[in-house]
Amino acid sequence: MLAFFLLSLHAQSKTCMAAREKYDEALVVAQLHDPNLSKAAFGKVIEHYSSQLYWQIRRMVIDHDDANDVLQNTFLKAWTNIDNFRGDAKLSTWLYKIAINESITFVNKKKVMNQLSIDDDESFLVNQLESDEWFDGDQAQLNLQKAIASLPEKQRLVFNLRYYDEMKYDEMSEILGTSEGALKASYHHAVKKIEQFLGETE
Amino acid sequence: MKQEDSTILTKYGKNPGFKVPENYFEDFNKRMTEMLPEVEITPVDVKPTMWQRVRPLVYLAAMFAGVWCMMSVFSHFSGATNNGVGAVAEKLTDDKENVDEFIMSGSVSDYDIISYEDSVIMSNEDEVTDAND
Repeated sequence: MLAFFLLSLHAQSKTCMAAREKYDEALVVAQLHDPNLSKAAFGKVIEHYSSQLYWQIRRMVIDHDDANDVLQNTFLKAWTNIDNFRGDAKLSTWLYKIAINESITFVNKKKVMNQLSIDDDESFLVNQLESDEWFDGDQAQLNLQKAIASLPEKQRLVFNLRYYDEMKYDEMSEILGTSEGALKASYHHAVKKIEQFLGETE
Repeated sequence: MKQEDSTILTKYGKNPGFKVPENYFEDFNKRMTEMLPEVEITPVDVKPTMWQRVRPLVYLAAMFAGVWCMMSVFSHFSGATNNGVGAVAEKLTDDKENVDEFIMSGSVSDYDIISYEDSVIMSNEDEVTDAND
């Protein structure tokens, strides 16, 4: 039994080591500040975060090509400012901040191009979804996206992060720079507005 | 959260209906890594946190503690008979002082001592007889 215990301990430590080899955030952050290793380390960052950042951006800008451009800008911005990242915050928090800022800037630019006021909602982004080849949702999913797009910017962000990413409020608070109480209130209002919107459209 | 958005969740689920081209993320990662411009990196010694420094020691200590616990459990169950009353009695009777104290305390009667002496004498006689045979 002792042998079994030691074997399982050994196997467990081997599994942990394998997982660490795959993506060790502390190691990657240290390598990012080494001129010889930084580029390869940032490649690992891209590999690790591209998917989760893409979906966050996509839910904000709706269109796939736009999401692709914003994601690219996010990583370029992170890479060119990598010297400013000192590891005080989590790398994911820092990347999410950049991605959210890039998404908001993009949407506002698009509004200007469509001659809309900054205060107008983002429903115009959703209206073209039905004909988008990278959308295969049904009418109900389309309605939900329209409901989310009708929310004020902050509530939309909070709803997306909480509902789809299941992000904790303390982490969200770090990213958005808002108190947890205010975030909970935003989420509550967002849910009520979405339910009301969907109730009216059905 | 679960209660609050349960109506939306039940009705619409978590799939927003978006999709991406095949192998999009693999292609993106490759393309993005290749297009990174050259930037000047200032070498910085990122100081590891206290936890990162002591983590290997804590893991090692936890491992030894685990092994020690296992050993204790094993010895408790497998060595119960050796470490029990028998072992204690054996240890005590090895020590002459303990035997004398036991006798002096009155727990052994004169009859017990005489019976014991008789049995010792008889066993010695048996040994002598066997030797003669």
